[in-house]
Amino acid sequence: MSFNTFGTQVRRRIIFFILISFIGSVVISLFQMQILENQSFEKKSNENSVKKEIIDAPRGIFYDRYFKVAISNKPTFTFRITPATYNKSRTSMIESVINSGSGFVDQVLKENKHQSIYSPLRVKKDVDFNFVSWYEENSENLPGVSYAVELQRDYSFGINASHMLGYVKEISMEQLDRNREKYSQGDFVGYTGLEKQYENYLCGEKGYRLYLIDSKQKPIGRYNEGKDDKIPQKGNDIVLTIDKQIQKIAEDAFMGKRGALVAIEPSTGEILAFVSSPSFNLADFDAVTSSKVLQEYIEDESKPLYNRATMSINSPGSTFKVMNLIAALETGIVTPETTIRCTGGIQYGDRFFGCMHTHGTISAVEAIEKSCNSYFYNIILKMDLDTWADYARQFGFGSKPGIDIPEQASGLVPDSDYYNRVVGKGKWAKGWTISLGIGQGELGVSVAQLAKYAALVANNGKTKVPHLVKGYIRSEDREFSAFDFDDVKVNVSEKTFDIVKLGMYKVVNGNGSATNIRNAKIAIAGKTGTSQNPHGDNHAVFVGFAPFEKPEIAIAVLVENVGFGSTHAAPIARDVIVAYLNNKRVNAEKQFIANAGKGN
Amino acid sequence: MKIDYKIQDKFDFGLFLPVLSLIIIGLLAIYSSTVNHPTAIGNFERQLSWTFISILVFFIVYFLPQQTFRYAAIFSYALSIFFLIVVLIMGKTVYGAKSWLAFGPFGFQPSEFAKIGVILFMAYWFTKSERNINNPLEIGYALTIGFLPVLLILLEPDMGTAIVYIILTLAMIFWSGISIFGMFVVVSPGVAAFASLFGLHVFIIALVFVVILLFIFKRNLYTNATVFVLNLAAGYFFDYAFNMLKPHQQSRITSFIDPSSDPLGAGYNALQAKVAIGSGGFWGKGFMEGNQTQLRFIPEQWTDFIYCVIGEEFGFLGSIIVVILFGIVLVKILNYASISKSKSNSLILIGILAVLFSHFAINIGMNVGITPVIGLPLPFLSYGGSSLLMNMVLIGITMNIYKNRKLHT
Repeated sequence: MSFNTFGTQVRRRIIFFILISFIGSVVISLFQMQILENQSFEKKSNENSVKKEIIDAPRGIFYDRYFKVAISNKPTFTFRITPATYNKSRTSMIESVINSGSGFVDQVLKENKHQSIYSPLRVKKDVDFNFVSWYEENSENLPGVSYAVELQRDYSFGINASHMLGYVKEISMEQLDRNREKYSQGDFVGYTGLEKQYENYLCGEKGYRLYLIDSKQKPIGRYNEGKDDKIPQKGNDIVLTIDKQIQKIAEDAFMGKRGALVAIEPSTGEILAFVSSPSFNLADFDAVTSSKVLQEYIEDESKPLYNRATMSINSPGSTFKVMNLIAALETGIVTPETTIRCTGGIQYGDRFFGCMHTHGTISAVEAIEKSCNSYFYNIILKMDLDTWADYARQFGFGSKPGIDIPEQASGLVPDSDYYNRVVGKGKWAKGWTISLGIGQGELGVSVAQLAKYAALVANNGKTKVPHLVKGYIRSEDREFSAFDFDDVKVNVSEKTFDIVKLGMYKVVNGNGSATNIRNAKIAIAGKTGTSQNPHGDNHAVFVGFAPFEKPEIAIAVLVENVGFGSTHAAPIARDVIVAYLNNKRVNAEKQFIANAGKGN
Repeated sequence: MKIDYKIQDKFDFGLFLPVLSLIIIGLLAIYSSTVNHPTAIGNFERQLSWTFISILVFFIVYFLPQQTFRYAAIFSYALSIFFLIVVLIMGKTVYGAKSWLAFGPFGFQPSEFAKIGVILFMAYWFTKSERNINNPLEIGYALTIGFLPVLLILLEPDMGTAIVYIILTLAMIFWSGISIFGMFVVVSPGVAAFASLFGLHVFIIALVFVVILLFIFKRNLYTNATVFVLNLAAGYFFDYAFNMLKPHQQSRITSFIDPSSDPLGAGYNALQAKVAIGSGGFWGKGFMEGNQTQLRFIPEQWTDFIYCVIGEEFGFLGSIIVVILFGIVLVKILNYASISKSKSNSLILIGILAVLFSHFAINIGMNVGITPVIGLPLPFLSYGGSSLLMNMVLIGITMNIYKNRKLHT
């Protein structure tokens, strides 16, 4: 056997030699480090250690469409405790100074006992300046207590826009675990709305300072004279599509009301105003202990945290008649000249479906103008349900509107699959779908979807995905970069749009349901609706656009539990439309004068 | 005929007790470095449960019938390769390497367990039939078996573990009886490739050495030319592959060659590790008393830098004891390998020795600052379930072979 002979013994010795020489060199270097050079290493250990101090990056701020500040940051004082050196007997004194009630400090310490006891812990944000001056006078008696100047969101720029902007809050453990490279404990991140959607643009990049510290963690100087330090990079600023002045007018119009409003520039999909009411105070979340405040919001019966503009699903009511007429004209079920006789309603099977009036002979334009139910019962009965559903989906119903915030609902466009699933195959007939003709029944839409629909009608079937952000200003060079948004197109003829738009014009300027918002200077077109609410009073709905000849704003408004659309929803729409168009003129003039000034 | 052995004869406490001591020292160091740490809290308890699981698995492996290792060879190798491919597709990235495969709450590192597959299959391959390891084709086969996992692990990329597999493969080829010239042919292209990283000058110097050695070996022109071309190709290919890498992968390799190129990353840790160990002195600062450890100058100290916790808190005495315990374990395995009557078992033991030694050498070398900073756990001591379990399986196989050393296969 050639294997277990001389050769193996030589190989064994070679390997043995490698093992022993490595172990030998380890022993030698250990001896050198721990015995011979022990003194110098001990000195280094006691004095020359480098500690990294992280410097937070200021969060990017928000501007409105005219580059006016919408949200900014403000410096505040944060009271901190370093548990390792903190003297607990000072607690009651501190609590009286920060006005927090007894037990507060102990509770914060208890909640954060898994954190490092050597690094300062945020106890209360936004403390009064009184605390700082008291601390400065007594600091030698307050070991382990400190304060830091930190940036916090400043919401004092006139608009609330809480659902759209969203709140920032201290990062959760789960979020932190997913992203340890970028974030650390105590960081504030966007939780909802645009703050969440654009977190990566807003958050910036942290910097650090390197210190030489002694064994008691006391800084004794800068490492390498600060040459290796990194300056934090401020987050990018976001430029909104919102017009701050209009947003404010819309928010004020909803004061004390529940509901939502979304206004869009039809040619670009840019959202000009976005309201969900009641709203909440964003500043309440930008604090350390907010669980109690959050609890109050959650328990509030009016659900202020709920984004009614994108999440709340209601039936569109008569505002959907425009949609139904488009489908009927496109499929040839009616022509503009076709007339239908309204006798105050129709009898279908054993049920009577009523109309508001007995309209007599009604054409397509008049059907919209007068909101004649009979006309629409007739056309929905002649229409194939799935073809109708396809048209509704083309206009964005039944799917998320694609707005750049995380909170969005799809709503519902019922088709034959839906009824087969819910009612059962063969168990439903045309009678089930008649109320779809007047925008009631199973149909469910959000205000944001209605606004997108209004924009599509206003601009003859072409717009872009509705969005709240134009672009961002890069923090390095203050250069503005615009975001691109996809086109939205529907396959409907100009002629059809002309018919329905004429109808909508007459709703306001003819003998329609919204003549109360007629305006001498601006031609508004629109359609009112009443969304039947099985849980209480009906909701008032309005969709519209203006100016009629060349639309610059499309709008959808829903006011909850007030009944009829024209008395409650339409006036809000008018106020926003008029204010926006005036404001736009003023800004354009200012721009013109500024440019003319440059020319000289 | 049934022979009644004494317990000592079947179960070598001389190997088992040093291993157990290393595990206990490791647990102490993990406790000291994690008990006050905000994110590592509970690591000690987890490691303790892994210790019990690992010892249980050790005994299962220890009592397995001897033929198991031969029968399992092909299957375990195939399974290893399979998982190494799967982890590249659906693995989770941990410390920059896509090395972790998760199944719900459980997970493991295929590159840990593939070591068994490679060791068993190479031992099986070398002894399947009469093979002449000095035949170039046979060397080619052996290298393919060993380097296929190396390639897959480099794609993760996990440089440290790939080096372990290279050492493992070379050690088993060496032990299988290759000639010195054969070993030269195997090793030189690797050296040439490595040299190419340091620039053209170093690469040319390496090639000159190859030529000089080829003259000394006095082989025929054809062989000499082939070896030279192999070296040249290795260097070029490596350079080409390096340029294909992404910048952050390149910087991992350059900081491996020159840690000072990244003073606040790898270099910072190496410096702090030296300060921790050096300041320990002869007796150490005492359990839980090391200020470098307790103030957490080194991140994740309970994994790759566990040795400097020992160095700081248990001093020269503790550090030396750990090195001596490793020495006993490694020399014991080497001795078993040379007395084993079965070539296959002997090769398995050398494979195990290579794995344990390369981990030990790279980790401790990095901690005391005599080798570059490469992240590899210290066997039996570093925190980590996969690693501990794997090492106990290797010790289980070792002692199983020892138990059956008098059986002739």
